[in-house]
Amino acid sequence: MRLALREMHRRPGRFAIATVILTLIAILLMFLGGLLDGLVASSTGAFRAQRADLVVYSGNSRNSLERSRIEPDVRHQVESVPGVTRVGGLGSVQLGGRIPGRGARDLVPTVLFGYELAPRGLPSTPPGAGTVYADDSLRAKNVVVGTTIHLGPARSAVTIVGFVSDTRYSGQGTLWGSLETWRQVLDANRPDARVGPGVVQALVVQGVSLGRAGLPEQIDRATDGATTTLTITEAINALPGVSQQRTVFNQIIGVTVVIAIVVVALFFALLTVERTALYGVLKAIGASSRTLFVGVVLQAVVVALIASLIGVVASLVLDALIPAGTIPFVATPARLLSSAVVLVVAAVVGCTFSLRRVLRVDPAAAIGGAP
Amino acid sequence: MFLALREMSRARVRFGLLIGAVGLLVFLILTQQAIEGGLVTGFVGALRQQSAPVLVYSVDGQRTLQGSVIDPGLEAKIRGVSGVAGAGWIGQSTFTVRVDGGAESDAALIGYEHSGLGDPSGLSAGRRPVGPTEAVGSAADFTVGSRVRVVTSGPSGATGPVFTVVGLVKDAQIQVTPTLFVPWAGYEAAVKAANPDATTVLPSVIAVRPTSGVSDIELVRRINAASPDADALTRSQAASDTPGVAQVQQSFQLIFLLYGLVVPLITGLFFLIITFQKAAALTLLRAIGARSGALVRSLLIQVLLVIGAGIVIGVALFAPLTLIRLGAITIRLNPGAILFWSVGLLVLGVASALVAARRVLAVDPLEATTGGGGL
Repeated sequence: MRLALREMHRRPGRFAIATVILTLIAILLMFLGGLLDGLVASSTGAFRAQRADLVVYSGNSRNSLERSRIEPDVRHQVESVPGVTRVGGLGSVQLGGRIPGRGARDLVPTVLFGYELAPRGLPSTPPGAGTVYADDSLRAKNVVVGTTIHLGPARSAVTIVGFVSDTRYSGQGTLWGSLETWRQVLDANRPDARVGPGVVQALVVQGVSLGRAGLPEQIDRATDGATTTLTITEAINALPGVSQQRTVFNQIIGVTVVIAIVVVALFFALLTVERTALYGVLKAIGASSRTLFVGVVLQAVVVALIASLIGVVASLVLDALIPAGTIPFVATPARLLSSAVVLVVAAVVGCTFSLRRVLRVDPAAAIGGAP
Repeated sequence: MFLALREMSRARVRFGLLIGAVGLLVFLILTQQAIEGGLVTGFVGALRQQSAPVLVYSVDGQRTLQGSVIDPGLEAKIRGVSGVAGAGWIGQSTFTVRVDGGAESDAALIGYEHSGLGDPSGLSAGRRPVGPTEAVGSAADFTVGSRVRVVTSGPSGATGPVFTVVGLVKDAQIQVTPTLFVPWAGYEAAVKAANPDATTVLPSVIAVRPTSGVSDIELVRRINAASPDADALTRSQAASDTPGVAQVQQSFQLIFLLYGLVVPLITGLFFLIITFQKAAALTLLRAIGARSGALVRSLLIQVLLVIGAGIVIGVALFAPLTLIRLGAITIRLNPGAILFWSVGLLVLGVASALVAARRVLAVDPLEATTGGGGL
């Protein structure tokens, strides 16, 4: 073990190129993962913030908030399902916001949500008509408490009374007000999307299943198929593009990990070939194959850890340098750590390809016994 | 050449591993390039394929068709701009539909008022609609004769309008969703069926054609000057400035840059190590009269063969992907992209092997007589 580390210490140049390549792969893994996290976080915050168990859409809306319409009679049916404890209406509309101090054409994309059942970080009673809470991300657009934003072509005025964290939706900053505020703004700006009295786009539900079937099935049965009920996780995965983004990015990350394995395998296979004679001598003086192979694994792990460390630093620098609103990249500790772990595992797997060569080294060859 | 090939055939595993790694990298690069192209086309293909040279959004729409609404006041200002030869409505929304009585799915409808101002410009099959219930569909998603029923949000049993696909147009999706171009009356009926509470169906954008002698760019300038609420864009600007398109392209460019660096580094590392390993043999070859140039040529031939074989494997792995679809994204085999990356990776690979070549040139034949031969 000490021999392996001493070799790395005495001949760092031998490991430099492998470290550089693995560093690039580490940056790739962390960048791809951070991009995925950024995309997903900016699309799903409004749903992740819900303090509810279920989201109820109208049956033919294909789980799209914008297309869903829940009539008052359907809501009563949902409320009367045994196990349902609380039900709140939810509505949304995406509009450009005019913020004081910005140019006439420099609008900020926003999504106004009307709510009844408060998401995390919001007061249980929605703010009064014409007032809203804003997502933290809008602070970067010079929004402060007291700012009045004019929404949409009708210039519907809403005044900010506070902030809430991590509630972005569809890549945009959100505003949270009462259903009354949402309905007024929707009617004024989107006549093609207006809703009738008591109609909401979706319901958020708190409750537990009291029967054999799950609560979502019980709700959909009670409404005779007029609704599609999803858990919060299912609703997040059903948001446009979320599951597709996850699948594509995870596949790319998977192939990149395979490449990391091949790089490590290639590098340590060559290194082992180069050191065959040395291994023969070491075996001849009593070193076991296990000791030699542990040394190889240790070197691979050290190379992968150095690459990961540089990758983490590069990712954090990238995160700090990328201007807000451009590339949706976030460097979360979980992603950086998991990428580092994956890289170390790939390095260990890669260097196991050298195991056969290490086992095959014949100590007799070192003392001239080989033909 | 003989030496290079003989060495490769004797060390199949090590060269095979390198070729495999390069092949995987080429496969990844081509796949991601295709995903980028497919994604952008899926986002804004319909904007590129529609016939109006200039589209006028409301500033509030943030350059998205679905987010923009043109009220009558703004429309009047646009129509009144000098240089406007013709103007028509375009509307866009996404609906739940059933295609040929199948399961519910999503479809984007683009409604246009006048031919030449928002209808698709070039059909790949069929003909243009002549009635309000006929449609031109995105070729990747529909076939001529498909019947597409809009699902209503009213009580079950209520029926929405049914569109018959009479023509197809390639690369014409919007928001990565199957897309239908329909006459305005059909679009209006679909909106009202999907939301019975809708009071008025206003256009999303106004499609505009300039008079002769006025360029598209000039008309854009005039319209934007006429109203601070108007956001006029040429067809190509409308496609490239759609929110998300630039971010997608920037993200992929960064990924390509990183992959582009990994390939030559792996190749360079491999050949440098190989050169170190065969230092004694190279010294001996030089001592018995082999010229440095011949040894370097042998090295470069191996580099070209390895990267060339990697490219062939990468393309071979990628080609079957073009037969399937990734969700709603169409993956295309782009010969231009393959050529670009092949040439680029070959050049970078050869450049990366120059360090190893320098080592070969530094071999001193005299070392063979002194028992040396290290580099």
